[in-house]
Amino acid sequence: MVGELTWRRRLFGLWLPLLVFVVIALFPFTWMAATSLKTNAELYNPKANPMWIQNPSLVHYIDLLKETNFLTWVANTMLVATVATFISLLLGSMLAYPLARMRFRGAPLLAIAVAVTYLIPQTLLFVPMADLIGRMKLGNTLSAVMLTYPTLLVPFIAWLLMGYFKTVPKELEEQAMIDGASRWRAMTRIILPLCLPGFLSAGIFAFTLSQNEFLYALLFLSKSSVRTVPIGVVGELIRGDAFYWGQLMAGALLGSIPVALIYSFFVKYYVAGLTAGAVKG
Amino acid sequence: MHATYRGKRMAQPTQSKATRRSFLKLAAAGAAGVAAGPWVSRNAQAKPVSITFARESSYVKNFDVHFQNVMAPAYEKATGIKIEYQIQAAGGSAVPQLVSMVENKSGADLAWVQQEWLYRDALVDVSDIAEEVGKQQGGWYDEIKLLSVDKGKWKSVPNGNIGQVMVYRKDWFDEAGVKSFPETWDAFLEAGIKLKAKGHPFGMSMGHGFADNYSWLYPLLWSYGVTVMDKTAKKVALDSSETAKAVEYVKRLYKEACIEDCIGWLDPANNKAFLTSQISCTNNAYSIMVSAKRDLPDMGKVIAHGLNPKGPNGQRYHALVPVTHGVFAHSKDPQAAKDFLRWMMDPKQYRPWIASGDMYFAPYLHGFDKAPEWDIEPRVKPFQKALETGKLTSWPAPANRQHGEVVNRWIVIDMFTKACTGTPVKAAIAEAVKQLKTIYG
Amino acid sequence: MSKILEASRAGALAAPARRPFRIRAFLERESVFSWLMVTPPVLFLLAFLGYPFFYGVYLSFFEREVARPATFVGLGNFVTLSNDPIFWQAVRNTLLFTAVATVLKAGGGLAMALVMNQSFRMKAVTRAMLLLPFIVPTVLSTVAWQWILDPGMGLFNRLLVVSGLATTGPSWLGTPTMAMISIIMVNTWRGLPFFGISILAGLQTIPVDLHESATIDGAGTWGRFRYVTLPSLLPVIFIVTTFSIVITFFDFQLVYVLTGGGPANSTHLMATYAYSLSMGAGQMGLGSAVALSMVPVLGLLLVLLTLYVRKD
Repeated sequence: MVGELTWRRRLFGLWLPLLVFVVIALFPFTWMAATSLKTNAELYNPKANPMWIQNPSLVHYIDLLKETNFLTWVANTMLVATVATFISLLLGSMLAYPLARMRFRGAPLLAIAVAVTYLIPQTLLFVPMADLIGRMKLGNTLSAVMLTYPTLLVPFIAWLLMGYFKTVPKELEEQAMIDGASRWRAMTRIILPLCLPGFLSAGIFAFTLSQNEFLYALLFLSKSSVRTVPIGVVGELIRGDAFYWGQLMAGALLGSIPVALIYSFFVKYYVAGLTAGAVKG
Repeated sequence: MHATYRGKRMAQPTQSKATRRSFLKLAAAGAAGVAAGPWVSRNAQAKPVSITFARESSYVKNFDVHFQNVMAPAYEKATGIKIEYQIQAAGGSAVPQLVSMVENKSGADLAWVQQEWLYRDALVDVSDIAEEVGKQQGGWYDEIKLLSVDKGKWKSVPNGNIGQVMVYRKDWFDEAGVKSFPETWDAFLEAGIKLKAKGHPFGMSMGHGFADNYSWLYPLLWSYGVTVMDKTAKKVALDSSETAKAVEYVKRLYKEACIEDCIGWLDPANNKAFLTSQISCTNNAYSIMVSAKRDLPDMGKVIAHGLNPKGPNGQRYHALVPVTHGVFAHSKDPQAAKDFLRWMMDPKQYRPWIASGDMYFAPYLHGFDKAPEWDIEPRVKPFQKALETGKLTSWPAPANRQHGEVVNRWIVIDMFTKACTGTPVKAAIAEAVKQLKTIYG
Repeated sequence: MSKILEASRAGALAAPARRPFRIRAFLERESVFSWLMVTPPVLFLLAFLGYPFFYGVYLSFFEREVARPATFVGLGNFVTLSNDPIFWQAVRNTLLFTAVATVLKAGGGLAMALVMNQSFRMKAVTRAMLLLPFIVPTVLSTVAWQWILDPGMGLFNRLLVVSGLATTGPSWLGTPTMAMISIIMVNTWRGLPFFGISILAGLQTIPVDLHESATIDGAGTWGRFRYVTLPSLLPVIFIVTTFSIVITFFDFQLVYVLTGGGPANSTHLMATYAYSLSMGAGQMGLGSAVALSMVPVLGLLLVLLTLYVRKD
């Protein structure tokens, strides 16, 4: 088999297509990076090469950090995404575990209900959600989105985790219980630790969606000090019809760095997690 | 004067011949002098800790800076109340935020109430302030009352009109032999054809934006003698042979004088195209000139503002883009918010504030018709004319929720775009008329 | 496996062997334990999803304007919609957008996964790079696309002009057809990595011996792909596709930033239309009706997909 992999095969089967995919994925980022390092005069110059920087300048980064609450937004985003992810994982696994591993009355109905909940469009929910948040006096607090994001995430997470929980053989738990462990103990000490990659994958998925969320954040977070990255940059770097292109792009890159780091660190688990969820779910 | 300062007894500053510099000095002193004003005593009992004020983020940086660095601290110093200044993106995302504030009864105490017909019921009566300001500063333009006055009561205090005029490259126009900005739409088309031939097409926004599309299409329609609805909003007035002529005109203008892309443009797109030298003319607010002056000094010198051309009915129109301030009934202390609004509209605060924005916010007050502030940047003077010939997009019908629906479904704009993309003119008009009947029906 | 079993036994033995209370026996029952577990999430979902959902459904039967009491209109909103050409155009656009973008993402994702499923240097880094489009907040990457699709300054048209393929490139957002193509392209760009990585994960679970036996049976590269790889991948592809259909169907930010639904409604999706009705025009009831009508359309789409896969 290995012998078949001649350089020609390697070139057309691997390197060229790989190059195509990498270029497709990255060319907008190279553009973003170039724009964030250009002065506006150069950006607007119709004769300048869009992918080349004649006079690199950090002015947009400096302005972004000095004149806006960008770092606060990043911190808010991380905090919100972390809490929302944690709540979603907790509730999602409480939902998924019995559905995946136990028989109880109402289980099929519950499973269908969970599947249907992710068909509910966010656009249907925003008016009632605004009302709910208003009643709880949570407007303009990070709690507002920490509580609403899990409603978007729990159904997805439960579904992803169900696939995972199913992969662990039932005998493991039965054996433990024969040996005198309670159900709770069997779950927390034996099954859940085995599903750690699943939690990581679901967690990363939830984290990505939370930090990207736009609608609820737009509606509930109007104060600059509680904004998340997407809302903050739109609110303060889009002024009327004038876009602060360089700062927007600097924000896009700086805002993605933390997540990119998390991804490259966990990407192995992420891949593994998705598979288990997908194949068995 | 500072110690005895009282709003009502203010000298009419609009009649003063003060230069800008001395005026600013005066204003700064005035702001400091407020400490002895009537607010202190009143707020000694009520004492809200802070007031939240939501407003569009301005592309004239100075304008926000002036508010944050001069006005807000002055008010805090005078009354002990901190002003939380919340800035929002304009257009598509400000209205949802305001709607959400009204629906969940939290957020700002007062705000720029974009599309205020949506939440008039959630605003308190501010007639006392509006009438006082009007009396003091030369009287309000009638046109704005159609928006701010509802059932005989002022629901908002107009702050200013964002002037929308023709923005063009004087150098390229000269080169093409167009020495002065066209006076009629026909001449405008002719000029466009010449400029496009030279590689400098026009870029007239026609997409699902929030201002740059209305600001020329509605005035164009009006100058053909057509309005969308009649005065009572009972009868669709668009169904007319003149409409067909206007649509045919836009079709020609688009095909023969414009860049193809402009049909889908949102509001930032024409700024981008203009600043990157792709178009020679568009309809926009002050933002293009501001960016050019800051980032592209050479272009900054050759940009000029022109008025919307006249139509077959010999009239010239502009679309008003009003910014009005309203106080939410859900505010914990609407009175405190009103006090702040009154203070903000006082000439001592108001004049330097709008002057800090080079007058790109034209006050709806006749007292400013000949104000010295118009000389700060002579090229913004057309904004004053735009105000004089300006109409609300609902004109002559009231600015109400039905009108909001027409605007937010882009019914009239899309009538033009459909015709430009191949729908027969009659069919495009018929479709729009049908939709209007459903909405107003 | 046996190691784990042993470990679990050891863990269990370490627990103090207490005589079970009655209540404990009760709690140990499968149904009781299950319901105790699912109750908190179910309550949470009922409160924060169920309540808004039913409230939203309720609203769709009312004429409800901002800051005003609602008036019952029965099916009035739906009747209004059924006569509204923009609504039907939004439905058609949404279906087209979702279908084409999903097919492209699934096909491209499969190709990406097959390429990535080979061993090469820097694989981890490459994988992380390929995921980037999925990570960056959509609003911001779409702002970048506004420039990439610019008629004169954009990368695409610059490339076309420089390479001599055209004197002026097309107007990417300036004709109804091109605008639809553009939003599909940007959506595909953003969603492709999700497919690629998920399918790659699926590929890695296919046992090697399956391929080997197929090779022995005389299957070529295509044969192995058609009869071994594809069938084993079908469950993954199916589930990732449903996931993606849901997310694509509800896509909102992309269109909102790039075209606002224009020109002439050619890119208006149900999600953007619902938004402009409820939030722009303040017609909460009508907006909710549009949003609600997304549910059966989406449900239908998923049922069709399921049937198609079953048949296969």
